[in-house]
Amino acid sequence: MSTADLQSASRWVDDHGECLYRYALVRVRKPEVAEDLVQETFLAAVRGYEQFGGRSSERSWLVGILKNKIVDYFRKLGRETSFTDMEFLSDEFSEKFVSVGFWNHDLGPHEWKPEPDEVMHRAEFWQVMRDCLSRLPEKIRAVFTMREMDGVPSKEICAILSISDSNLWVMLHRARMALRECLEMHWFDTPAGGTT
Amino acid sequence: MLVKFIGKHTPKCREMIRILSQSMDEPLPLMMRIKKRLHFLICCWCQRYEEQLHYMRRTAREFPKHADEASDVPFSTEARERIKRKLTENVR
Repeated sequence: MSTADLQSASRWVDDHGECLYRYALVRVRKPEVAEDLVQETFLAAVRGYEQFGGRSSERSWLVGILKNKIVDYFRKLGRETSFTDMEFLSDEFSEKFVSVGFWNHDLGPHEWKPEPDEVMHRAEFWQVMRDCLSRLPEKIRAVFTMREMDGVPSKEICAILSISDSNLWVMLHRARMALRECLEMHWFDTPAGGTT
Repeated sequence: MLVKFIGKHTPKCREMIRILSQSMDEPLPLMMRIKKRLHFLICCWCQRYEEQLHYMRRTAREFPKHADEASDVPFSTEARERIKRKLTENVR
């Protein structure tokens, strides 16, 4: 690789490093893992620069590489240990239901206001979202992130993580329950969340 | 009378929210979609729960765009330099 190419690679780190790092961090949550993934992305980009035909922007190309690195990271986790987590929230908030299985009316979902378009402009909301996602156990958060943040089809997630459809549905159900509860408690039921 | 009938012939709320979550990942069979509609006639909580599942999906899809507002760990100068060093070592 020429000095000029090395200078380009160094410029990528300055121009795109922060964006890629945040992209990775919201998905894996561990700063050291996010840094490693960004580093691997740049290394892969340098090695495969000839394949970058300029059809997309430099950043889109780098994000594409990072996406694959993140999937590889989750795939590796799935190979090393079982990616199934059936212990988390196994009672599925049973206290919220009366014995026959209907909602206990006092504990059912509250009405959420304001509308999503309004909260999306508020930095505090995203901080609450981040904190609530951080509370999910790693495997549960990983499946939720892939499915809901990145829109990966459920069949594909099962293949990446080597888990069954039914295990995935249970994990997603509990992730959604826990996140819903956390957002309600820490945002929608608070004065900050209820007002604009 | 009607409420009792619907309550008896549609899944209980605890099961219904599991079905609602699954419906975010694959389409429900026609009969289950009908049961869901009937259940919503007698249960505003489950209906609200479904709306909130869609709300969470919308916000989760937007979350990466707001990662800087939500970030608690900045991309440090040290990390930047570490990556540059590694790049130099590996491509020489």
